[in-house]
Amino acid sequence: MTTQDVQLLAHLMRRAGFGATRDELDACVRDGYEATVDRLLDTSNPVSISEYLIRRFHPDESSMLLGGSGRDAWLYRMTTSDAPLLEKMVLFWHSIFATGYAKVIHAKQLSDQIRMFKRYAMGDLKTLLVELSKDPAMIIWLDNQQNHKGAINENYGRELLELFSMGVGNYTEDDVKECARAFTGWTIGNREYMELRSARDSDWPYGRLSWHFEYDAEDHDDGEKEFLGETGRFNGEDIVDIICKQPGTARFISRHMYHFFVADEPPVPQWPYEAPRDPEAIELLSQAYLDSSYDIRSMLRVLFNSDFFKSESCWYEKVKSPSEMVTGVLRLTGIFDTPRYEASAKTSRMQFMGQSLTNPPSVEGYDGGLAWIDTGALVERMNFASEELGNTSTPGSQELVKRLVADNGGTVSPERLVEVCLDHLGAISVQEDTKSRLVEYAGEGGDISVEGPELDEKTKRSIAGVVQLIAASPEFQRA
Amino acid sequence: MTTKSLTEQTQFLKYDRTVGMTTMRGRGFYYPMDSAMAAEGRIYAVSRSSERTTGDTVRVTVLNMEGEYFGVFGSKGSGDGEFMWPCGIAVDGGDRVYVSDEHLHRISVFTASGDFVSKWGTHGADDGEIDGPSGIAFDPDDNLLVSDARNNRVQRFTKDGLFLSAFGAPGTREGELDLPWGLTTNADGDVFVADWGNDRVQKFSSEGQFVAQYGGTGRGDGEFVRPASVAVDADGYIYVADWGNERVQVLDSDGRFMQKLRGEATDSTWAEDYLRINVEEAEARTRANLEPEIEFFNDDPHEESSHIEKLFWGPISLMLDDKGRLYVTEGNRHRIQVYDRAT
Repeated sequence: MTTQDVQLLAHLMRRAGFGATRDELDACVRDGYEATVDRLLDTSNPVSISEYLIRRFHPDESSMLLGGSGRDAWLYRMTTSDAPLLEKMVLFWHSIFATGYAKVIHAKQLSDQIRMFKRYAMGDLKTLLVELSKDPAMIIWLDNQQNHKGAINENYGRELLELFSMGVGNYTEDDVKECARAFTGWTIGNREYMELRSARDSDWPYGRLSWHFEYDAEDHDDGEKEFLGETGRFNGEDIVDIICKQPGTARFISRHMYHFFVADEPPVPQWPYEAPRDPEAIELLSQAYLDSSYDIRSMLRVLFNSDFFKSESCWYEKVKSPSEMVTGVLRLTGIFDTPRYEASAKTSRMQFMGQSLTNPPSVEGYDGGLAWIDTGALVERMNFASEELGNTSTPGSQELVKRLVADNGGTVSPERLVEVCLDHLGAISVQEDTKSRLVEYAGEGGDISVEGPELDEKTKRSIAGVVQLIAASPEFQRA
Repeated sequence: MTTKSLTEQTQFLKYDRTVGMTTMRGRGFYYPMDSAMAAEGRIYAVSRSSERTTGDTVRVTVLNMEGEYFGVFGSKGSGDGEFMWPCGIAVDGGDRVYVSDEHLHRISVFTASGDFVSKWGTHGADDGEIDGPSGIAFDPDDNLLVSDARNNRVQRFTKDGLFLSAFGAPGTREGELDLPWGLTTNADGDVFVADWGNDRVQKFSSEGQFVAQYGGTGRGDGEFVRPASVAVDADGYIYVADWGNERVQVLDSDGRFMQKLRGEATDSTWAEDYLRINVEEAEARTRANLEPEIEFFNDDPHEESSHIEKLFWGPISLMLDDKGRLYVTEGNRHRIQVYDRAT
């Protein structure tokens, strides 16, 4: 397999996952590109660190009383999952169906929503949208518990059309009203008590009570409705059915997928006014959506096997989100082989980089792209990557040292050291200018001796120094 | 899975009362990990809190089963008298209180009134060193048994931390352990260990020889999922906090299943105090259905417990008093449910 093939696979793993360790990349090389795509798409039996382990050592990740609760468990899952594409899809749906703690004020409900995304992330959109409509956190977030027969609240009905399925320009204000009518009665059980406790942020007397969906038939408007040109006594499931078959929905979901996995699109509010950067790609994905009865996995298969995805012009084009940055780095270090006290400190770094999982800035989600980079965030990102990857005691660092010793024996030139370190971090490709500076730094102490069995601290620090510089490079910020 | 009749029991234990409440500080618990009984019915409950909080959310709360509150001691940190990941708590024959810390790998010792006395523990895997000490308990000789969890063994120390003996090794065979948690002894000095990762309870002689095992993975009667704690009474009945199944099981002295409890919590005196003051919330609570019929997406009892307040959620520690009453500390509900012997 050529270097080009390895680079393509590394690109695939950065986009469809969180990057790859050297060992993971070797497995991809052995399988080949199409087989790797198939393997990534097979998320039928995902394995990550045991939930029991997380709950035992982090009880707050079990019953989740605090605003940030649930995020550590999410980070553990992303970092240890053998199905990284599934975890990326959870982030994908979370960024579209953005639901925030600031109003829901129930961390476990938000965590339950994320787990719901995981169950339905790769299936058909219809099922996912119905589950979303029944999700208690979403109901409260968009006030559907206040959507009554004869006194509708349009909030959920509007966002379902505007932000969650087809986007502005594909429906009318009357459609919004009819949509809202169809979702009357879709509420939560014990609504009064749960709303009050949420508003008061009440953990009393015995912690939080989970919410559950309740269908109030008496509060449901079962009258005739006209929605997107169809007429009937529609309930919520019927509305979702009609939404899913719209070409507008196909294009909207396709454009989101392109934005997340291929290259940045402008923010969603500009989509009605700015054409996609690659209309043919959107058309291809839309057709896959319609041909497969709205199957997300089928769309992804087309996307990852497409020329527009594989094209070198989009390699390293996307800025990693904070969650992708933190997860990718921690997967390389391998420190979450067991629960660790430091987990919540790692999760907090995402926040310092500008992303609070389960608390997006608004229902429009995270802007993404270059919006992740400002002066403060960039420093935080570089420092985090540099600190974590420069820690010589982690399993990942020890793996790098073993590789250097095994592959090179004797001494290692600065050029070779830089090559091995770039390779170790996921076969990263850097600009020539960056590379020559790395080699210059690596060569400051001359060749490095890697005679076994143990390297001295000075040597380990020299190696770690190169890794830290790579982690601080502009290329490392991108996927 | 739908909710069903939740109280299934023979006439052995019957529910008596609930003690405690969720509070971040002061009178209450915040992710309690373990409780211990001292003289005059005094209960010491250690709260781990969350890594995200600061200060005195991590603490030991002192109370009794009537709901009398005697104060708190301890706080978050690595200094004397502080905790990072407190896990187990035990009281010696002189009423001193011991707390294990599985992040700092040490045991801290306090007087009965909560004044710091000393700390000991060296991180490591050699004899006498500890790695993630979880459950602790005093044997009949007033020596301290420690579930040395990440070393997958049990060690015995004097009260001052001098190493005496060890038993166990990593694995799944008889006598081997996987992240052991709570442990206890009977009057003969036999040691019962909640062998968490192996979904069983193991009994060892006072010399550390394997004697018997009970349980095995499952949700059936007599089976366990990640048991966290074990208690043994004077008659030899064995009580297991079947943590992963969100229940408590009672076995006879031969390990045969006798009874399972799923929890029947009511308002404690502290809860009543809260609701008396917070009238709006109390009134809404009376109008709510706290035992709704729900269709769950899986059969994990963790989900059922999160919805239905009276059920055990995170039964993490068991202890018995001198009248044979069983106290079940719940990590996720921040309370203790008390059960009497029915006969």
